[in-house]
Amino acid sequence: MFSTSDTIVAIATPAGRGGLGVIRISGPDAARVAGALVGRATPFKARHATFARIEVASGVSGTGDHVVVTFFPSPSSYTGEDVTEISAHGSPVVLSSILRRAIDAGARLAEPGEFTLRAFLNGKIDLIQAEAVADLIDAVTPRQARVAFDQLEGTLTAAIGRIESDLFDVIAKLEASLDFPDEGYHFVGAAEARVALASVIDRIEALLAHSARGRLVREGAQVAIVGAPNVGKSSLFNALLNANRAIVTALAGTTRDLLTERAEIGGLSLALIDTAGVRETADVIEQEGVSRTRATLRVADLVLVVLDRSRAITAEDRDLLAETALQPRVVVLNKSDLPGVITEAGVAISARTGAGLDDLIAAIANELAAEVSGPRDQPAVSNVRHTVLLERARAALLCATEALAAEVSEEFPLLDLQDAGQALQEITGRRTSDDLLHHIFAKFCIGK
Amino acid sequence: MISELDVIVIGSGHAGVEAAWAAARLGRSVGLCTLSRETVAHMPCNPAVGGTAKGHLVREIDALGGLMGRAIDATGIQFKLLNRSRGPAVWSPRAQADKPRYAAWVRAELESEPNIHWIIGRAGRIVLDAGRVAGLALEDGTVYRCRALVITTGTFLNGLVHVGREQRPAGRADEPPSRDLAQSIKSLGVRWGRLKTGTPPRLARKSIDFAGGVKSGVFHVEHGDLKPVSFSFTSTMSPENTAVCHLLHTTDRVHQLVRANISASPLYNGQIAGIGPRYCPSLEDKVMRFPDRERHQIYLEPEGLDVEEIYVNGFSMSLPAETQRELVRALPGLESAEMLRPGYAVEYDFVQPTELRSSLEMHRVPGLFFAGQINGTSGYEEAAGQGLLAGINASQSVSGRPALVLGRNEAYLGIMVDDLVTKGCLEPYRMFTSRAEYRLLLRTDNADLRLTPKGRDLGLVGHERWERFAGRQARYELNVERLRRSWVRVEGGARVTAAQALRRPELTLAGMMADGDVAIDTSEQDHLLDVSSVETTLKYEGYLLRQQQAVTRAQHAERRKIPETFPFERVPGLSREMVQRFAEARPETLGQAQRIPGVTPAAVAVVGAYLNRF
Repeated sequence: MFSTSDTIVAIATPAGRGGLGVIRISGPDAARVAGALVGRATPFKARHATFARIEVASGVSGTGDHVVVTFFPSPSSYTGEDVTEISAHGSPVVLSSILRRAIDAGARLAEPGEFTLRAFLNGKIDLIQAEAVADLIDAVTPRQARVAFDQLEGTLTAAIGRIESDLFDVIAKLEASLDFPDEGYHFVGAAEARVALASVIDRIEALLAHSARGRLVREGAQVAIVGAPNVGKSSLFNALLNANRAIVTALAGTTRDLLTERAEIGGLSLALIDTAGVRETADVIEQEGVSRTRATLRVADLVLVVLDRSRAITAEDRDLLAETALQPRVVVLNKSDLPGVITEAGVAISARTGAGLDDLIAAIANELAAEVSGPRDQPAVSNVRHTVLLERARAALLCATEALAAEVSEEFPLLDLQDAGQALQEITGRRTSDDLLHHIFAKFCIGK
Repeated sequence: MISELDVIVIGSGHAGVEAAWAAARLGRSVGLCTLSRETVAHMPCNPAVGGTAKGHLVREIDALGGLMGRAIDATGIQFKLLNRSRGPAVWSPRAQADKPRYAAWVRAELESEPNIHWIIGRAGRIVLDAGRVAGLALEDGTVYRCRALVITTGTFLNGLVHVGREQRPAGRADEPPSRDLAQSIKSLGVRWGRLKTGTPPRLARKSIDFAGGVKSGVFHVEHGDLKPVSFSFTSTMSPENTAVCHLLHTTDRVHQLVRANISASPLYNGQIAGIGPRYCPSLEDKVMRFPDRERHQIYLEPEGLDVEEIYVNGFSMSLPAETQRELVRALPGLESAEMLRPGYAVEYDFVQPTELRSSLEMHRVPGLFFAGQINGTSGYEEAAGQGLLAGINASQSVSGRPALVLGRNEAYLGIMVDDLVTKGCLEPYRMFTSRAEYRLLLRTDNADLRLTPKGRDLGLVGHERWERFAGRQARYELNVERLRRSWVRVEGGARVTAAQALRRPELTLAGMMADGDVAIDTSEQDHLLDVSSVETTLKYEGYLLRQQQAVTRAQHAERRKIPETFPFERVPGLSREMVQRFAEARPETLGQAQRIPGVTPAAVAVVGAYLNRF
């Protein structure tokens, strides 16, 4: 069971959708955690939208995002507890990063349905609503949840299961050494245990190393469309989406916000991001859009650099080409329906007529295939919950290994190994001390 | 003979004697119903007390004021501290017992207790009045009235002994089983199971050439510790080792013989339906289930200094007597050994302990308590621990006081009861240190600090024990503080507090005291305990703190009580399977609810959400 009195956090908006995303934090530390995220020491004003800046992630230095923080003190909140809501731009990357930082700041990742459960506990919703909640959280017990996972996550669970099972074997042998000291068995020595644990740690690290690739598959590759004003970014965006979502006008700087839309292209799920025109500008609002574009450039999995082939290359175009030279990109030469003047290599299309779009889609798929396929034998860790648990397991395993190296008696490293085991079992399913004894008795002939 | 009693205890095995003793010491008039005074505190199986985790149980029984620790100290013949090379949390005392002396010692204690009235006879029927316990009727029709009844009948309920194809109803070798009582308990509508256990053959001491076996290298002499440590916190001197054991090993010939005769084993021909303990495999299981193992350990253990019988530890079986004799003689060094009686398997009924509350009182019958092997456990220590708690709680119920329930963070006794009443038994339950999630906090060196104040509050801890404990507790607290404030110089020249220095693996408190670096206050009697509990507290402070924090995190759920009448079936969203699991185990707290096998975290969270709403 989970505690109902600590501080929990989750992304409150549906996964992988564009526009706006909301991170909700509930519990006694809700305000403190939010304050830590935006580096604010003074208390938030109740039910007031506070504009703040947040560092997206340590791995993407210098990238920040503007967010709106709203604090709802208990009892006037969704859950009846202190709640803070952080509204950010809806990129899954940004939201995941904020989520991670909230966990680092002391919040616990909420279980499915947990916010509603708390709302019920605090009398914010009635019994009939709560019945629906009970159904919901009953459906998300580990076994059923595993069944609900897609194929890829099933493979992942199996991979973690094998790691857990190897760890469990080490734990069982160390436990057996303590409980059956005079059976004439040498169950496992410290050195041998360390070798086994090293392999467990290696495999966890391999999973963590590929967690980014997993995100690519689960949430879709982030494909950013960039280019100077009026080269036809939004037209391309719409052409790819086959939908008229962004307002396309000839006025420079119209697309001030980042528009994100999901699209199935070449069999791949993409989060397609239309950015504001990259242009040095004095307009404050537009500047905000431009800086966000630069941030997007840094976190995007693939960049489509759009050039207007009907006019000469500008300094802005050149900067953009230089800036994206080291990352996966496709150069798109738009307006092939007009006479061409530039000589840059790229995929020629016409967003207006649709000419060349198939070539472009093939090029996108080609670029991303290299990213997505990676080493095929590694399943992907794709959600924050798994990443957090794997990291917890790894940290505990390192402590245990250290204790084993110091030749401390088994019961001490076992404390850390059990922590690690529990973290993995939150993914693979719970084990009990009876399972442990069963494992020992099945393997060793113990007892007089 | 009086016929109105506060508490009646049925059975005088290790559970029964503790129950009777505790209730009597708490001022209740106690009837102890037994077939004979001759079998009080009898040890039908191995002649030993303690061992890993079991030694912890004995120390806890003693710390609360029970009998077992003092009994084994007084009558043990060889003492060993197991796991000495490991950390203090897993040090566990074990002793070879002198069976007749042990039994006589316990019997004398009970006979000197004026509140205990002996009822020699065969328990027949539980007398109820308006659904609660009102008395006990013997098979001969005599009725004794009482307000609480503790049933500790071990393997006697519908006991069936197997030796080869021979079967006879019996509770233990040559003792008749209880059938009427079994019927009476079953008529309460409780859930039952059937378990099995076994014991090895006994040999004639004079027929074994121990010296020859040692000389030829087939026997290895097993000695006790050079400085034996006692079980009881009240002991005033070190116990003495007065006996040795001998270790030998099975051979391929023994294994071949077992295989050749396996169809005659009731374990392998379908004759036995009960489930045996996997941690105590029969010889048949050892050979058949682990064919790759070349040899198995066998210990020859004396059953007492003046006892002719030698116990063949590790050789339990239920093959025909003739085959057993052959097998014994196939053991190296035992070619001319004489078998006094064969080993046997015994099947018996047990009450699913999920029928019980944490007080060991039955959910459906107020005043009716169960303790020991009838609850599905195995082992003298497990039985004694439950007996003590059931005796205490029978007394508490008679006097209208709250039951003593020990937390999983407080005692192995608490873990055992919690496991039993929430999970039930699928095989005989034995205590292991791996069952203790807060193992580092539950040590033999602090069993008194954990439990003696509770025993005192109950009234089980007498003046003398309390005085000694109070001094020892005061010294402990003072010494810990003192070492935190005294400074020592460590290798490399740095000055740190003694408490910090102790965290270094190479430093021991005894060593630092011998070097004159630090001094602590100790008493002559409790010197070792004074040193070791202070040292452990400081040396492993980081680890202990982590365990304390884990306890604190779990407390939230452990403290949330579920009322006895909570309607699980009315909680919306719970599947029928979950409702059934809750209804069977009847958890008393949310903590227990989450330990019920097969129950999902979500189901427990929903129950938690509805706790204050019905």
